[in-house]
Amino acid sequence: MSRRRSRPDPGAGTALDHVRGRAPTIRPNVRRLAAFANVHSCPTAAVAFAARVDTNRALAGTGAEVPYGQSPFAIGRGVAFEALLRRYGHAELRKVLTDGLGVDFTIAAIENLREGYQPNRTGLTLRASVTRTRMAEIVAAPPEPIVLDGAVLRADIGGLAAFFEADEMAIGVAGEIIVGENKSWPVVDGRPTDEDALGAALDQAATYVLLGRRALDQAGVDPGRVSGNVVLITPRNTGLAPVLHRQNVDGRVRRVERLLHAVPEVSDIAASVPPSVTFDRIADVSLPEEARLEAFAEITEELGRVYEPASCLTSCGFAWACRQCVFGAGDPAITGGPVARALPGVASLGRVAELGRGAPPSVTEAPAAVPIARAGRLYDEVMPAGRPGLRRPA
Amino acid sequence: MSTALDALFVGRIYDSGRAMRRTTLRHTHLADQPLGIAMWRLGGERFRAAAIAWGPLGGPFELAVAGEPRNRDLYFAALAPFAADLCLRVRSAADAKVARQRGRRTELLPAGALQVVVPNRTTVGALGLLGRYLAYLSDRGGVTPDPALIEAGKHLRFYARHARVPGQALLLPLDRLVAEHWATLLSPFEQANLAALDAQIEPPAGTHAFHASAAAEALARIGPEPTEDIDRVTDALLAEFNTARGGSTDPAVVEPLARPLRDHYRRLIEPVWQLMDHAVARERRLPAAPSVQRRFEGDREAFGRHVDWMAGGGRYRTTDTPRQAAMTLRRLEDALARYDADKAVEDAACMVPYLLDGDAVRGVVASVNEHRVVARVRSVRRALMTLDTDDPAVLPAHKRLWWTATAHDHPWEVQAVQPHGLGSRITLMLDAAPTPARLPGAGDRVTLSVLHTRPDAYRLAPPLEAPWTHRPALPPPLPEPIDTGDAEPPSAAVDGTALPDPGRYT
Repeated sequence: MSRRRSRPDPGAGTALDHVRGRAPTIRPNVRRLAAFANVHSCPTAAVAFAARVDTNRALAGTGAEVPYGQSPFAIGRGVAFEALLRRYGHAELRKVLTDGLGVDFTIAAIENLREGYQPNRTGLTLRASVTRTRMAEIVAAPPEPIVLDGAVLRADIGGLAAFFEADEMAIGVAGEIIVGENKSWPVVDGRPTDEDALGAALDQAATYVLLGRRALDQAGVDPGRVSGNVVLITPRNTGLAPVLHRQNVDGRVRRVERLLHAVPEVSDIAASVPPSVTFDRIADVSLPEEARLEAFAEITEELGRVYEPASCLTSCGFAWACRQCVFGAGDPAITGGPVARALPGVASLGRVAELGRGAPPSVTEAPAAVPIARAGRLYDEVMPAGRPGLRRPA
Repeated sequence: MSTALDALFVGRIYDSGRAMRRTTLRHTHLADQPLGIAMWRLGGERFRAAAIAWGPLGGPFELAVAGEPRNRDLYFAALAPFAADLCLRVRSAADAKVARQRGRRTELLPAGALQVVVPNRTTVGALGLLGRYLAYLSDRGGVTPDPALIEAGKHLRFYARHARVPGQALLLPLDRLVAEHWATLLSPFEQANLAALDAQIEPPAGTHAFHASAAAEALARIGPEPTEDIDRVTDALLAEFNTARGGSTDPAVVEPLARPLRDHYRRLIEPVWQLMDHAVARERRLPAAPSVQRRFEGDREAFGRHVDWMAGGGRYRTTDTPRQAAMTLRRLEDALARYDADKAVEDAACMVPYLLDGDAVRGVVASVNEHRVVARVRSVRRALMTLDTDDPAVLPAHKRLWWTATAHDHPWEVQAVQPHGLGSRITLMLDAAPTPARLPGAGDRVTLSVLHTRPDAYRLAPPLEAPWTHRPALPPPLPEPIDTGDAEPPSAAVDGTALPDPGRYT
């Protein structure tokens, strides 16, 4: 897939620094990309993504901060599961890969790229280089498989370099490279205990497959060597004992490819964002909450917003603030796209209520007004007026 | 659901500041005193109920807190009273039987069935997993687990699986019940929060439903999955508890030490309990639809079969065979179609979406006449009805529609549709011999729709042997214990702020 630009524009970085202001930053990663995938049609979210604004923390301290934090027990479980796979020279990882893939991993070379590298951009660049080199070795058909724990793949996201860390990458399994993800939620009776988490994990793995194929392609190696059948390692039943599952993600790979193509170019955004737009005031904790939320409303007014509760509330830290703006504007989008799409030409929810009472529509409202008025008439015909006794005492 | 009706609801709720009723009737059975269950898990631990509260709604609740739920001995000791009480209630409910005549066969059905009410659908899933864990426990160190735990596990598993049946009332998640009866400004994702739903229906005086639900959403914690703030407190209390007990599982030692954790969870559960009680009391004020009792009879039948099966050991498959899966899917689809039809036929408010979508027509009967027509080879009596609808109707010839008064009987077939005033004149022919009960009178206002409540046809059971396309490589495993790993030492809690990328463990 070709991008419109291969080199980042240095001026764009400066412009986006201004857009970000003092708002907390976030490094692009596979989860951030997946979250952006859900809201990529929103101009405000697109600018925040391009400017690397951490939307989950930008509104910290206000009533509109969406609580995305995790239980320390849940994090502890994840950390413990990874530690279990790594301990005693990755004994558990070797065992589960051997059992699950039918290839002997007992003497496989396992390189832990999470250790020995600086936890910064330099370290990530080096890890990406090692990953690329090891992947290229597939051509030489290594006698024993190689496992990269914490492989790093480099990608161009909207014109800026980003690094993505895969949990495992098993190289040289029957001439293929297999991408693996570790998750600490259990599988019981062959079924995941959290289906949404399964979907998210497979999406992550698909991203690594795509980036791995691109890396091979750039190295002049057949990209098809990265298998579309990924590996998911999870605990089985009530303990942490790992079990391996294989799943084909080719369909998801195509989706991720479309998504990456849809990520706006940073330079285009930098050029199009008015100079007045900055997330600085939104994240300024010295300001009163009202001023921060007002600043947010001004930005979304200027840039535009697309509020879709199902995706925004699970993926964007601005969702509650955005919902507040949508309500304030009487925007039909408040309960989601189907309702908004049923109201072409109707400016506000207040007007919907009037049309539902039979108010004469304007020319632009006419197509939507007829079913609304009919709905109002049919509902009023069958519903007893008033609901005595339901209001709570003041 | 019609988008026009949804749009109307959103507009009116925005305008009035309060949620609106979707139905005029209650379509779910509510027992006089259902058993309420609310629970909190430890974050990320799918099988560990850190606290479980139960008791008849309307009264106080019992609370079981294990202290350290990842310790099998402490966990099972805490769950034992809950398990014993649940088993007792199930057995008591199944004790009294009533006879039901089916043709020449007389069946005995439980006179009642234990109804369980939980705050949300997530709790249904959590109870199902807890049931799966407890239903098949292995011996540990030569000690057989408490039989009440195993029995309770099987009950919970049955309840959670039965909760998939549309319209069932054995295990009732209140978020679903309330969202079915009320239109709000909340999207389906937001409706999972019972407190937000409740706030939209009964906001404090002078507060718009939107602001009330946003405030409730930010503050209310419903469970069972804890948020970060809750588990930070739990973590501190649990660390103190574990240090103080020094590895002891002796109830005399542990009981007083667990008091701070019990207080912590009591504070969390009390508002949830009140909310559940309030929601049930409000929904109970709606009159029950006529079909509620029939659906609950189906629930009692399933409950009775389960209790009978339990008497024989109660081993259930944990993975369906392809045949079981196909039969279950068909059963659930049939139940959904019947539930939708029951609601719309009995409740005029539930028919509105079908009228808006063109799947139903309403109007005044202009005339009903009897004719003789040739059906196949014989000349038979048939009724012809002309119906003047309020709104223009677009219906293809031969479309079959059921009059709501005879939705269990034969349909009417569309013969012709012509413009008539602001609406249409539809000519329909009854697909059976006319009888007085099957015919509306001239001048009656009637509704006909595609919905009916009679069985479509006799359905043959699928073949005993699945076709090769659906035959798994290995037969489904027999039920097996999943508790092998529950003796592992618990993982240490980790503060996400101390990690460079805590999102990795999402």
